[in-house]
Amino acid sequence: MPKVTIDAKTVEVPNGTLVVEAAKKAGVEIPVFCYHPKLASVGMCRMCLVEVGTPRRGKDGQIEMDANGNPAIAWMPKLQTACTTVISDGMAVRTDSAQVADARRSVVEFLLTSHPLDCPICDKGGECPLQNLTMAYGPGKSRFPVESKFHNEKRVPLGDLIMLDRERCIQCSRCIRFQDELADDHVLGFQARGRGIEIVSLSTPEFDSKFSGNTIDICPVGALTSRDFRLSARVWEVHDYPSVCAHCSVGCNLLICERDHQIKRIVPRENEAVNAIWICDKGRFAHHFTTAPDRLTTPLVRKNGSLQPASWDDALDAIVAKFAEIKKQSGASALAGLGGDRTANEDLYLFQKLFRQVLGSNNLEHRVGWSASNVGVDLVRMYGAGADTNLGALDKSVTALVIGADPEEEQPVIRLRLTRSVRNFGLNLIVANGRVTKLASHAKQSIVYRYGAESAFLLGMIRTILDEGLENKEFIGARVNNLDAVRKSIEPFTVEHCAELCDVKPEKIRDAARLIAQSPSFLILYGREAMAAQQHDPAITSSIETLLLITGHVGRVNNGLIALYPHNNSTGAMDFGLLPTHSAGRVKSDVKGLSAREMLSGKARALYVMACDPAADGNFTKPDLLVVQDLFLTETAKLADVVLPAQSFAERDGTLTNTERRVQLFRAAIKPIGESKPDWWIVAEIAKRLGATWHYRNSAEIMDEIAATVPLYAGVTYAALSDNVMMPRPPYGQGNPSDEPTEIAMGELENVSSGKQWLSVAESDASAKFELFWNEPRGEGREAKNELVLAVARSLYDRGTLVGKTKIVQPRVPAPYVEINSQDAEQIGVGDGARVRVSFDSRVIELNARVDGHVPPGTVLVPNNLDGTAALPMGAWVKIEKV
Amino acid sequence: MTLPDLGAIVKGMSVTLREMFNPPATIQYPEVKKPVFPRFRGRHELKRHENGLEKCIGCSLCAAACPADAIYVEPAEQTDAARYSPGERYAKRYEINLIRCIFCGFCEEACPTGAIILEHDYELSYYNRRDAIITKDKLLVPPPAPDQSTPRAIKDPGNLYAAIPPVKGGVE
Ligand code: SF4
Ligand code: SF4
Ligand code: SF4
Ligand code: SF4
Ligand code: FES
Repeated sequence: MPKVTIDAKTVEVPNGTLVVEAAKKAGVEIPVFCYHPKLASVGMCRMCLVEVGTPRRGKDGQIEMDANGNPAIAWMPKLQTACTTVISDGMAVRTDSAQVADARRSVVEFLLTSHPLDCPICDKGGECPLQNLTMAYGPGKSRFPVESKFHNEKRVPLGDLIMLDRERCIQCSRCIRFQDELADDHVLGFQARGRGIEIVSLSTPEFDSKFSGNTIDICPVGALTSRDFRLSARVWEVHDYPSVCAHCSVGCNLLICERDHQIKRIVPRENEAVNAIWICDKGRFAHHFTTAPDRLTTPLVRKNGSLQPASWDDALDAIVAKFAEIKKQSGASALAGLGGDRTANEDLYLFQKLFRQVLGSNNLEHRVGWSASNVGVDLVRMYGAGADTNLGALDKSVTALVIGADPEEEQPVIRLRLTRSVRNFGLNLIVANGRVTKLASHAKQSIVYRYGAESAFLLGMIRTILDEGLENKEFIGARVNNLDAVRKSIEPFTVEHCAELCDVKPEKIRDAARLIAQSPSFLILYGREAMAAQQHDPAITSSIETLLLITGHVGRVNNGLIALYPHNNSTGAMDFGLLPTHSAGRVKSDVKGLSAREMLSGKARALYVMACDPAADGNFTKPDLLVVQDLFLTETAKLADVVLPAQSFAERDGTLTNTERRVQLFRAAIKPIGESKPDWWIVAEIAKRLGATWHYRNSAEIMDEIAATVPLYAGVTYAALSDNVMMPRPPYGQGNPSDEPTEIAMGELENVSSGKQWLSVAESDASAKFELFWNEPRGEGREAKNELVLAVARSLYDRGTLVGKTKIVQPRVPAPYVEINSQDAEQIGVGDGARVRVSFDSRVIELNARVDGHVPPGTVLVPNNLDGTAALPMGAWVKIEKV
Repeated sequence: MTLPDLGAIVKGMSVTLREMFNPPATIQYPEVKKPVFPRFRGRHELKRHENGLEKCIGCSLCAAACPADAIYVEPAEQTDAARYSPGERYAKRYEINLIRCIFCGFCEEACPTGAIILEHDYELSYYNRRDAIITKDKLLVPPPAPDQSTPRAIKDPGNLYAAIPPVKGGVE
């Protein structure tokens, strides 16, 4: 590796390293404003000027030596920007000379001539790189009279979430580059010239991006600030608690900043393996549900037909008595538990333990509402992507197939990280779906298949690989059985036939298959739309498995499968067996319990609902005993006999398992609301009253038990999960918190990752043998006049209980709409924005039409978590008319 | 008893005799109050600008400087319809715990607007610990005129640049 000498310290760094990064390695600080390690260099601010020299070469091309026998250095006549200069072998850098100090002083002085210096009222004050670098390198005194200060507009709303202060901006373009390079929303730009140059929004609505909040973190001054946090505390006064996002399954690492038991703001916490330093706006702003005034504060018991506040003892005793009575009358099989996949692992573990061990019932489920299509329990257990697969750093040796997913709306930060992999590291991305999603614009190959014919597309690729002899013969020979049977069954499915079934050109299928087979590494990310189809078409499951196995892409880092689930602990709900078919640790149960549909149609006499709202989707028959444990009085809770107030993620400790099977710890940040209790405590109290000898004093003890008894989670204790947790400031009361600004703004990243992933079978057992199996595809190719197939998607911001409590994001919730292809729209006679009537079966709803090229002909798309669009079935045939 | 001893008594008594004709040093507090030096540090006051707007901009720097952690500031954003101070930010809550305060004056020194001044009130006693926490309404000096109180609506948009006066302790 090339050697570089920086201020007499010599370091070895890889080719292509920038001087500024090499200096970090040498332990030399080079101040920067515009440079950020996660963004491309532009060299705009000149703060990083240093002296650079290279070894002097004589006429013969040999390096000349000085009097001491060291290589003589030819210093460049002018200072160079460390953020754009790439190192070369033997390069020397000086950062401690008078010339460099002078340059830094001048740059700071120059920046400050146009800076209002209103640090006392600025939200960035206390964690501001401009403040810090002015203190460290600035002149300390201005030579300009204060009246000559350049003024520009203050308090300019840049959309609903961000406030811009134009005179604080130092024109570093970090915000623009973030939006262009990573968020891929080209919504910010510079306007005007010279001193008057200013940031403007280029979109309607303004600053239309799901990642806008990240620009607050990386802005090196207080030009971009949060309208939610705005002027409500000083950053050194808040206490930081490490947490994990409560929304989607990415599991972004957060810091909850608390003051006076109020969440003041949420900022990202660095975890290179999960979210790097980014979070989406939903994770950042939609936290107000934790302290919403309509949170449940006491247990409620139904008396004379209405729910009345009651004590914990009364409420729990009432439940236990009724449980015992029903069990006596109808047996344990009449008791059922429905847990949401938003609660912590500890809660889920105890919930299933209560049912399986104390009550003796296997009727457990979590798949209702959005989670109804959570499938792939065995697929993920067998072939889950290798540990330490970093979706943000997949290089050109990796091919990733994202199928039936819309990560932009459902797992935003995964979309962001895949974009980074494609842009910066050359990941080969194949995006396949029944429509065009945002991710598709980065794909090497974008494939739009016919909804319902996913398996035909996958079979076409398998067929190509087998026909062209691209399979991994060595791996198959050693580990895979039954290939011959598959070869035989796939006989009628020629690539051409598959292509016709799924309406994709045969050559596209072949190209994708070749790319996959020839790539050293291959990942499948499959999303909710594919999972929904999988429930009707088992051939999807077998094809995914076959595709992975015949190419041998399992059990290693960057290989295998990632199932993109909807919620923050969907994976945990499956790990801990909130399933009628599997118990804790994804072990197949002997007896099959009731499915969610059976539970809700009245087959269970007693139903214990924890953190989900099945009644909101309709088709709910109230059982004899309905216990609901939740944060709010949900639709289901309104029907309940007993309602128990649970605590949100901000009030308690716990662990969550993200969609990549990474278990992560979150800590309590605020005081409990009212008399609410953690879910695990409530479950444990019920178990104790039923005679169990459970003694859990805190959630850490439950995790210890899990680590000891559930093999998937072996060794996953709180202590193990606390390793490498990045805290930007010293804890309250230890050191001066204002000394340490957030590393994110300063670009001083540690690139560490925390949390623990459990290993799939393919990875943990290097000699495991795999069985291929065959399912006949059930793709339908029905063509109907005037009828269009309905695809159901999800919008990031919805009208749900959690997002609904945050006022500031409400304008971002779209009005309910239906996306129509321009051909179909023409036939119906509607244009973009027109009102249309969508009818199916006997239901009719009116929506706005969007005609913007995101759906293929014959398909319409409705996000069904908006007003009045709930419970639209995926794949239904609908009729659309002009209103 | 020796002669020198007697001399000492006479000497002592002469001092007593002399002092009898001097005016007394005792002050009849509380009827009579002793004036304090101009830079005496007594209870804090929150000052106003000439136009009645509060000088305090809710920046919490006083709280950060305070070695006794005696100050609590909760800032908020203000609008022209209900304006407290120049600029965008004002102190929604401002409290000082006078039992914690050691009257060091660091808060005064840290304040970028000269809003908090340790004034001359030293009559600080309480029947109750809670009363020792004085709130913003007690700390704030009365407005120069009744119609110049805060919050008040300001006709033209407030001057956002004036939040921090250029010269420390200066006025708008
Ligand atoms: S707003 Fe902030 S991040 Fe954007 S250019 Fe200005 S200083 Fe840089
Ligand atoms: S991407 Fe998902 S986990 Fe991350 S902040 Fe957004 S909602 Fe939360
Ligand atoms: S005088 Fe000193 S101790 Fe008292 S409030 Fe001010 S800074 Fe704190
Ligand atoms: S008194 Fe001065 S230092 Fe304290 S918050 Fe007000 S303006 Fe800031
Ligand atoms: S020019 Fe190098 S950091 Fe801005």
